[in-house]
Amino acid sequence: MRRLAGAPLAIAGSLILVSLFLNLVPGDPVEMMLGEQAPSVDREALRRSVGLDRPWYGQLWLFIRELATGNLRSSLPPFQRKILPQIWAALPNTLLLTFAAMAVAILIAIPLGVAAASRKGTAVDHAAMGIAVAGVALPRFWLGPMLIILFAIKLDWLPVSGADSPRNLILPSVTLGTALAAFLSRITRASMLDTLREEYVTVSRAKGLSPSAVLWKHAFRNALLPIITVLGLEFGALLGGAIVTEKVFAWPGMGTLLLTGIEKRDYNLVRAVVLVFTLSYVAINGLTDLVYTAVDPRVRRQ
Amino acid sequence: MLTFCALLAGCHSEHNRTGIVVLIESPPDSLDNRFALTTSGQRIAELISPGLVTFDEKSRPVPDLALDYQFLGPQTLEFTLRDHLTFHDGTPLTSEDVKATFDGLMDRALGSPKAGKLEPVDRIEAPGPSRVLFHLKRPYAPILGELVLPIVPRSRAFASAALAQDRAPIGAGPFRFSAQPDEEHIVLTPFEGYYGGKPRIRRLLIRTVRDETTRVLELLKGRADLVIGAVSPPIFPALHAGVRGDMRTDEPRLRILWEPGSAYAYLGLNSRSGPLSDLRIRRAICHALDVQPILKAKFRGLAQPATGMLPPGHWAYAETPGCRRDLALATKLLAEAGYSTAGGEREGLKEASPGRAKRTLHLTLKTSTDRFRKSIALVFQEQLAEAGIDVEIRSLEYGTFFNDVRKGNFELFSLVWSAGSVIEPDILRWVFSSANIPGPENAFAGLNRTGYRNGRLDALLDRATRVGQDERKVLYAQALALIDSDLPYIPLWHESSPAIVSWRLQDFEPSPQGYLRPLARAREAAP
Repeated sequence: MRRLAGAPLAIAGSLILVSLFLNLVPGDPVEMMLGEQAPSVDREALRRSVGLDRPWYGQLWLFIRELATGNLRSSLPPFQRKILPQIWAALPNTLLLTFAAMAVAILIAIPLGVAAASRKGTAVDHAAMGIAVAGVALPRFWLGPMLIILFAIKLDWLPVSGADSPRNLILPSVTLGTALAAFLSRITRASMLDTLREEYVTVSRAKGLSPSAVLWKHAFRNALLPIITVLGLEFGALLGGAIVTEKVFAWPGMGTLLLTGIEKRDYNLVRAVVLVFTLSYVAINGLTDLVYTAVDPRVRRQ
Repeated sequence: MLTFCALLAGCHSEHNRTGIVVLIESPPDSLDNRFALTTSGQRIAELISPGLVTFDEKSRPVPDLALDYQFLGPQTLEFTLRDHLTFHDGTPLTSEDVKATFDGLMDRALGSPKAGKLEPVDRIEAPGPSRVLFHLKRPYAPILGELVLPIVPRSRAFASAALAQDRAPIGAGPFRFSAQPDEEHIVLTPFEGYYGGKPRIRRLLIRTVRDETTRVLELLKGRADLVIGAVSPPIFPALHAGVRGDMRTDEPRLRILWEPGSAYAYLGLNSRSGPLSDLRIRRAICHALDVQPILKAKFRGLAQPATGMLPPGHWAYAETPGCRRDLALATKLLAEAGYSTAGGEREGLKEASPGRAKRTLHLTLKTSTDRFRKSIALVFQEQLAEAGIDVEIRSLEYGTFFNDVRKGNFELFSLVWSAGSVIEPDILRWVFSSANIPGPENAFAGLNRTGYRNGRLDALLDRATRVGQDERKVLYAQALALIDSDLPYIPLWHESSPAIVSWRLQDFEPSPQGYLRPLARAREAAP
């Protein structure tokens, strides 16, 4: 409950900070649009038409009022398009991408981490952790094009970019999921190593349970809590990574919207996207708590 | 659910699509050219709703929907429309539509940001179904260039229908608007009633791909057929795999087509105050620079050296002496201005001005964070160091950079005037006339950001707006010579807008301005 009470504070804080930063960044929608052209365009009238003549808090107030009435429009003259339909179109794409990336990360990280922990100090361990370090080190703007060159151009198996078919999801989710997979596998290994040292593990081994039952049923379930915590925390990083990944793969999601908004200095669009990001962060934190109780009976009883 | 079709070779369907796919770097702001301010918006809008005139490869206004035009007097311009023009909805296009379009534009209620361009127009008359008269408030030759504004049906000319025209535009152009399923995609289909005949492209898909690398990869994959000006020269080597051709057919899958361009790259020098207000120093910088190695190594021939703002192919172009690289002259000019030239040629300097303590000239060069532009700035830095000028490069995020340029907060900056700006030579007046120095009251409209003042030039450029084409050419030649000797800008080069074209798009003839309009005459190869 206390977490829920913090949500409005987080939202208000993010909106104020974003508005302040937008105010500090030079250039405005009209100027970015015109660039080095169009001498006789009436720039001041364009500015007034979208409320840019007001101070930042005035603009923020306008934003909140428009948002409350469900009539939020972009800051780009002359046809300030409605923002909410754009967000409804983009949000499912980003959620799909982040959850697919998370699935990729889990599928890679858990086996890798568990394998490394159960064979600590062996070649398997070193190889798994080597892969993990490489995964963290590869930047997405590099990994993305490399995957495209290999799978879309050389092998000709997958499309380059866009979101026309389910096959379009594969490369972006691998690109986005890799870094998380690498990080997650290290956490899995560390957490598994901790639990494997516990007495109940030794006890279950002594009872004569099979090694895989000991590993997965007893040790892994207990090692899950830190893994889930990290997953919840890393969701934010995943959203951030989605911005780069979406750009590389021309994936029509929230990251693309945010980039468009920043490039064009579409203040309202940037505010709206940041608001959605904040809300999803809050929601995921709540979700993590729920998953805790499902996984760990001790949390449920408190 | 994810299909694992991907793992089976042969389930890709990219190769039997129909239509032509054009990639652009950012989505258009509007498809109505009365409102579109972005390049992508303007280029697409021109396909849907052309205007009375367009520009040819020499940037001369030539008839488009008009059959012909002539000045009946210094203040009256007559247009004759082509016969049997029709809009996409089947209604005929007559002089009434032209009059309504411009009446609508000049009505404040429409709120077109381009209304100001028509300020010199007094009224429009439609004396016959294919005759239109523009009555001007005063002689104003550049008005012709403004009549590229799109002609829309009279029912769509005014504010009440502005939104309809923005969502599903109608015009008399070669392509009709078909659908815009989302922000990233626009579908156009050929219009059988186009005066130039129905285009031979079955379907035109315009897709936004923001990442440059991805645009190139889509081209290599064969999923895109045309990209204009949205791939920078350093990336061209990556395209060679496609240019070299298919092993089986021996025909190149991609071609790079280009015309000498009109976009104008320059160094702006702050002539308001500081060392750069001294002409000798501006000249010294000009003589210290050498653009040839940059054109060769960085642009790979896709840019031509510039002697002034107008490219050699422009109708008003006049050759000016310019300044060649001459380090000896540069150091001499610097010494005369009282600066040391320690890094330059060492002999001869001691006598140049004995007894006076010399300072090294320190300058700051501002650029955007664009890697390509930054790498060019580094070359300038090195070349100027050879003349003993110490240059610090500050690369700033584009908005910040542009804001500094606009406010006159710079010593040196490098920027490019877009191809679309360097068409009507009246741009010289906007950029160099002292009336257009940005001040507190017109910080945004004034484009003379270097703060250059020359009364003679002001008079020449003003006069050039009031006279006929032949006399304009003479006046602009004089103006270009004046600018060349005073150097508020150091001319660098004219950049082309290379078109990368797939084998599926045939007969595409690129324009110096980077128009999409040549698609109207292009052909789609049989699959």
